[in-house]
Amino acid sequence: MAKRVPWDRETRWRRLDTLLAAVIVLGVLAYMYELMVGSRGLDPVYIAANYGLYVTAVTVNLYMTTVAYAVGMTAGFFLGWLRTIRSVPIKKVVHDFRAFADTSSRSKFVLSGALGLTVAWAGLKYLVRRLGDAYVEIIRGTPLFVQILFAWSILVVNFPGLFTNPTSVAFSAGLLALTANTAGYQAEIFRAGLQTVHSGQVEAARALGFSRLGAMRHIVLPQALRLIVPPLTNEYIGLFKASTLVFILGVQTEITFVANRNAFAGHIFEIFAIVTAIFLLITVVLAKVIQALESRFRIPGLGIQQTRAERPRARPLRLPEAPTP
Amino acid sequence: MVLKEVCDALVPQTAPFSFMIETKAAGHGDRPGPTERHRVRLVTRTTALRGAEVAAGVVFTLLFFQEFLQFSLFDPYLWAIYGPIFLAGLNGTVRYILLVIPISVVLGFFLGWARISRHRTLVWPVTMFIDFFRGMPPLILVIFAFLFGDNLIPQAIKDRLLSGIPLRVVSVTAAALAIAFHSAAYQAEIFRAGFQSVPKGQLEAAQALGMRSWQAMRFVVLPQTFRLSLPPLGNELAVVIKDTSLLAAVAGGEIVSRSQNFAGTLSIFGYPVEWLFAIWTAVAIAYFVATFSVTRILLVLERRFHTPGLEAVSI
Amino acid sequence: MIRVEGIHKYFGTLHVLRGISLNVAKGEAVVVIGPSGSGKSTLLRCINLLVEPDEGRVFIEDTQVNRPEVRREWVREQVGMVFQSFNLFTHLTAMQNVMLGLTQVKGIPKDEAAAKARQLLARVGLAVKENSYPAELSGGQQQRVAIARALAMDPKAMLFDEPTSALDPEYIREVLDVMTALAREGMTMIVVTHEMGFASNVASRILFVDAGVVIEEGTPEEVFHHPKQERTRSFVGKILR
Repeated sequence: MAKRVPWDRETRWRRLDTLLAAVIVLGVLAYMYELMVGSRGLDPVYIAANYGLYVTAVTVNLYMTTVAYAVGMTAGFFLGWLRTIRSVPIKKVVHDFRAFADTSSRSKFVLSGALGLTVAWAGLKYLVRRLGDAYVEIIRGTPLFVQILFAWSILVVNFPGLFTNPTSVAFSAGLLALTANTAGYQAEIFRAGLQTVHSGQVEAARALGFSRLGAMRHIVLPQALRLIVPPLTNEYIGLFKASTLVFILGVQTEITFVANRNAFAGHIFEIFAIVTAIFLLITVVLAKVIQALESRFRIPGLGIQQTRAERPRARPLRLPEAPTP
Repeated sequence: MVLKEVCDALVPQTAPFSFMIETKAAGHGDRPGPTERHRVRLVTRTTALRGAEVAAGVVFTLLFFQEFLQFSLFDPYLWAIYGPIFLAGLNGTVRYILLVIPISVVLGFFLGWARISRHRTLVWPVTMFIDFFRGMPPLILVIFAFLFGDNLIPQAIKDRLLSGIPLRVVSVTAAALAIAFHSAAYQAEIFRAGFQSVPKGQLEAAQALGMRSWQAMRFVVLPQTFRLSLPPLGNELAVVIKDTSLLAAVAGGEIVSRSQNFAGTLSIFGYPVEWLFAIWTAVAIAYFVATFSVTRILLVLERRFHTPGLEAVSI
Repeated sequence: MIRVEGIHKYFGTLHVLRGISLNVAKGEAVVVIGPSGSGKSTLLRCINLLVEPDEGRVFIEDTQVNRPEVRREWVREQVGMVFQSFNLFTHLTAMQNVMLGLTQVKGIPKDEAAAKARQLLARVGLAVKENSYPAELSGGQQQRVAIARALAMDPKAMLFDEPTSALDPEYIREVLDVMTALAREGMTMIVVTHEMGFASNVASRILFVDAGVVIEEGTPEEVFHHPKQERTRSFVGKILR
């Protein structure tokens, strides 16, 4: 049978489609260029002279991001772990206490003391959980701007003598706020990672003879660590973009501040072009690196973002017929 | 025995079924990062009780803070002076929210729809738009929209429609629109996932019944898309509310900028410095109430339109 | 009543249908069998024009329908289809699923449509489930609703694309019963299936299709027990238990 690729309307339309798409994209870009820059043209001298300024400014952002991220990660890890603590149901408390009371012939004094302790312990766990919840909800429910200003207030009011110049106050306030912020979000990520591992696996591990802590160490943690890598890396990118907000404190070496200050002196479009280029470059590069890392370390079928389960089939799936368009 | 208890307590509580986990793990600020594609998974419902617990926890933390930082949120002297400013700021914020949210939802919907079109003419420009507005930090977008938003409007439109409006208003509106576009880019991904979660076979079945494309769209695809998109949409709307605070960078007349102005004058007028905390706590509470209510309202909506079998939710 | 002449279909360079012809008389039930990838589903979809043939002609009641002037929606009202994965609309109840075509495509007012839907659901034995959502129904029940939905359009013929392949074994019977009843009532049907029992009972003719061509055609007795072609023999040998 001869092979035949019909040159039909379908293919021709595809090509026209692609051409049109390219035209539109280029056209929009050209129009934007025309609109913003116009006949002046982008001033290459200015760009060449000043792009270093912005690159250094961005490194300040990167620095802040990384420090806040690292500290936030440790705090977030513990906070997240904390939030997975079981809250003990009342029945169990009563049951445990009864068991304790039955097996011993202690005096009433000791028994009530024991009851008090159990209740206190359960209550403590409950309180700790709620505090953790509250912290995360507050961080997620309020804008970063407000958090930054709040952090600044704390530093200025409560530790006035600690910083010599206003710049370091601003810098520290920014760091503090960013850390608290990322700790909150990372706590959620860690919590989800720890909880998503199917409890059936823990059961299976225990049936094999692992203790609870051992199961945690050998079964839950390795999977959890794989699970949380994608959201954590995206958190880094997000934090980097959010670090631009410390500009409001006047952190003078930060990129938004630099851009803003220079913009008012002129060359707005050149500055915008530089800043856009820097951010898009960083975001794209980071995203690609992350994707490469993810595909290297991922376990198929394991992810916080699970696909919806298909209806299970009783018989093996037949190979599909030729695909219908 | 105590040690065992402690160790036991430290082991995380895993759920019997993975669909009972409520996970909002995503990129920073509850938004998906650039490497996350929206996928679909099942989630449980948080009960009203849990909502009350959370609110209680927050209130408790607040009171604790008051003690710790030595300020009083309920100082009448403060509110006599700051009250009007606070309200004016609230007014501003609410108006921005009402401007930005509808634009971003509608735009996001059509962008998401166009993103998965068969026509590359639609797909390429839309993808360009989405990637740009997702990749740039919102603050940068706000500032630069403010700075040359005015230039981007063709002269003809300016003369005819916008002749009486001062430059500042136009610029701030441009900044608000930048926030709307930024959110629309994220919502486009949400709606796209919603569209793609509707099984293609149902579209085929609708065609086989003799329905035209628009009928199939209206009666089969769209109802399911909306139901599927509601939960992450609620999340995104909360984020947009928080993003309006960015307008403070361009003196937008919303609550953060007005509060900032007031806070700047504290030392001039000799007001106690502790008022700083009270002010920012009040602002934080305002935002918290707003985001909390929006997510709760959407939860209610979600439950009202709930149909069994459509419990999938995307990140 | 349904006639297909010399259909060719390409997906890219893949020549899926290589000049298939088929003739189904009114009231006939024809079963199509064949290995995976042989083009059976594509053939069905060429009949109600969900897939447009590249060459050849499709006739419904002596009208050629694969011409550009013919409204595809009209064609699909004449010929109903039931899918392997049921494809019920998940956000609608069984009743609403059946009614949707009536109200939106045929323009029938709601009460009439509801009455008719009720009647059809009773006919497939699901009167009690009319307000259930697809997720609340078993596979067999879902497929029966799908059949009712297709029947609601009063089609002249019905196409079945492996209707029981996705079902758990205990539900296959109920669906086949509905299809058998339908055939006995005189509905023109083309069924792609692997259910040999059903084929032997109901089909007036069996077609064996492989690699886009009809290899053999005949009564169930002929094809299953005295196949003439070698390929038919080997295929039948594999599936007849």
